[in-house]
Amino acid sequence: MRTILSLFFFLILALPAFADEKPASGGSGNVEAGKVIYDKRCIFCHGKEGAGDGPASERFSPKPRDFTMGLFKYRTTPNGMMPTDDDLFKVVSHGLPGTGMPAWDDVLSEQDRRDVVAYIKTFSERFAKQTEPLPVVAIGAEIPSSPESIEKGRELFQKLECFKCHGNEGRGNGPSALTLTDDKGDPILPRNLTLNWHFRGGGEAKDIYMRINTGLNGTPMPSFTDSLDNEKSWHLANYVRSLSPATRPAMDVVIKSKKVTGAIPTDPADPFWQAGGEGGQDANWFPMVGQVVRHERHFTPTVRDIFVKSVFNQDEIGFLISWNDPSESKEGDPLPTPGGAVEEDLFGSFGQEEDSSKAAAPTTASDDAISVQFPSVKPEGFKKPFFVRGDDKLSVNLWNWTAGKLSESNSNGIDKETMQAQEGVAIQGAGGYKEGQYQIVLKRSLLSDDKVNDTQFEVGKFTSIAFQARDGHNGETGTKMSISHWYFVLLEPETPKEVFIYPPLVFLAVLGFELILRWRLRKSNDSKK
Amino acid sequence: MGRIPLIGKVGIIWVLMYLALKFLVSPPLPSSVIFMYMSLVTVCVLLYVSVFQDDADAFFGPIKRFIAGDDNEGGLRKLSRVVVFIAIPLFFGFRSYNSNMPSFEPPIQQRVIHPAPPTQFVGLYNPYREDKEHFAENVAAGGKIFFENCVFCHGDKLDGNGIFADGFNLRPANFTDPTTISMLQEAFLFWRISKGGIGLPEESTPWDSAMPRWEAMLSEEDRWKVILFLYDYTGYAPRTWE
Repeated sequence: MRTILSLFFFLILALPAFADEKPASGGSGNVEAGKVIYDKRCIFCHGKEGAGDGPASERFSPKPRDFTMGLFKYRTTPNGMMPTDDDLFKVVSHGLPGTGMPAWDDVLSEQDRRDVVAYIKTFSERFAKQTEPLPVVAIGAEIPSSPESIEKGRELFQKLECFKCHGNEGRGNGPSALTLTDDKGDPILPRNLTLNWHFRGGGEAKDIYMRINTGLNGTPMPSFTDSLDNEKSWHLANYVRSLSPATRPAMDVVIKSKKVTGAIPTDPADPFWQAGGEGGQDANWFPMVGQVVRHERHFTPTVRDIFVKSVFNQDEIGFLISWNDPSESKEGDPLPTPGGAVEEDLFGSFGQEEDSSKAAAPTTASDDAISVQFPSVKPEGFKKPFFVRGDDKLSVNLWNWTAGKLSESNSNGIDKETMQAQEGVAIQGAGGYKEGQYQIVLKRSLLSDDKVNDTQFEVGKFTSIAFQARDGHNGETGTKMSISHWYFVLLEPETPKEVFIYPPLVFLAVLGFELILRWRLRKSNDSKK
Repeated sequence: MGRIPLIGKVGIIWVLMYLALKFLVSPPLPSSVIFMYMSLVTVCVLLYVSVFQDDADAFFGPIKRFIAGDDNEGGLRKLSRVVVFIAIPLFFGFRSYNSNMPSFEPPIQQRVIHPAPPTQFVGLYNPYREDKEHFAENVAAGGKIFFENCVFCHGDKLDGNGIFADGFNLRPANFTDPTTISMLQEAFLFWRISKGGIGLPEESTPWDSAMPRWEAMLSEEDRWKVILFLYDYTGYAPRTWE
């Protein structure tokens, strides 16, 4: 009897759970339950009333979504329309990579997430007014990526003037890039299309297909659905996808500096550095983050990725460093006014009046810059200078490229930099800005005379290396910059001759032992017979 | 048991010893130590089987027969001997190759994860812990501080996956992990928050921790409140001496 009863109760308890397996689009969430979760998990960014004004909002860029506006970027519905519940559910579940919005699917159950979605919808009247079912953009039969499809997509990219914001090579550096604002009046940058791991709504062709057909509500990104059919959508999506690497670069903490025979050219455009050249190997990729360790901190850095490769010959070591920046900046350049030069016809109803209450920002840019950091002296044991420009005890040696000027310095802390005398600067370098990307070569002799201040390079030894970058259009001067942690550069030693001698000898010795053993055994067996 | 030939028994014991050393010992043994123990096991086993002539025959007999072979043996037996005769030298040749090839692995940096705090931080208690009347208020204030300052590295879910977490090599601490704050006293957190990565003692070098010295940016009250928030949000209780 007891078993039957417990089975009965189990069924009663389990029924709602089964019912929730596939909730119908449009309201299986419980608003009250959603509020409890929201008040614990979401208010710190999105604010008590959903206005995107929680304590974290000040320092994040992009800012947390203001739910009261009822504008949502990542949807499957046509431009200007409300998102479906599943659209919101997807963002809550998987998060938005590169923003403060994490994926909640490991913390909140499916029902919890449905409940939160239901609660979020109470912040804007637009949801209540939406009574008719929402149309959803359908993705038609896939056209797989191919050189032909990519070429057709490239033509569409030109024809639809995507380059005006995203730049000719897709690095988010188009002529109007720096003037864009969203519907709240906050500056907004067009996506750099060459780093698809930063795409908020997914970096694969089908995700790009969806974005170009839905647009991003509340931003200058329109929908191109009127100019695209299924075929053209795939071509354009395939082209945009082809601008990024096939797979996200993996981080290798060691830059293997490759031995070359000839001279190391300082021009990054030299065939030496291209695929097939002596220095044509794949670059290491490192993430860059805001300098948030020492006062004054920087929460919204421009440079989030840096690509580095290294070569050396018997005299010199050289680095080719590249990073993306939507603008070339020099000290004193006038800064564009966000919202000032938006072409209204391009963005239709989404060009909004700008917010004039913004505090006065600097009106001129500072220099774009990159620094490569080494310990000044190879430290004993595991000790290293503090990774943000050294510490009181251990100093770092910096190679600086500042808007074309080269300098060397030493630093014992973020605000304790000592420039080396300009006439003694031993680094050489060249390179510059092209289509949203910096490419700079820096090189120096392996050994230098100043053993106290200059790092010395030895073949086969690991040398710590770190990077710092500045975007002069983003107020990055002084302590404000992108930084990396310590990594290593290793001047690859030549493969020792032993590698080719000992293993075959060992093989032959063991084989010989086996054969002798067998020979002796057979001999003794024979003699027994 | 008696039906298993001696060579099978030896094989079983050898494999069992290996599995025990590999999986039962915690913390895991380095492979060089396992190699040492297994060499000992091998020597002991060989000693054991060679004490009595019968055992030695039972043990070495099949091996001798396999090596020497027979004139009227089958092709399969012949083939397996050739395979073994080539595989064993290959194995040793490969080992020699691996040990001679220069390694491009960066130096391993061992460090003490939870070093002892300096004396002035021992025995401190959170002044807001016992203030039941304003508890929720203080937790909320701590949350505000967290989301204005700590969220960039330690993440919106307090799981150490903030937007800058990938850039730091020691990743930021994951407070939802049961081996972090729930194993520590509030005084320890207060020390680590106040002095940051650069304030770690000698045994914790390299100072790879990116943790700022928050005493330069947050008041003492704010630091205690944020600790209150960390425990409240994750649902862990601070470790105490009781």
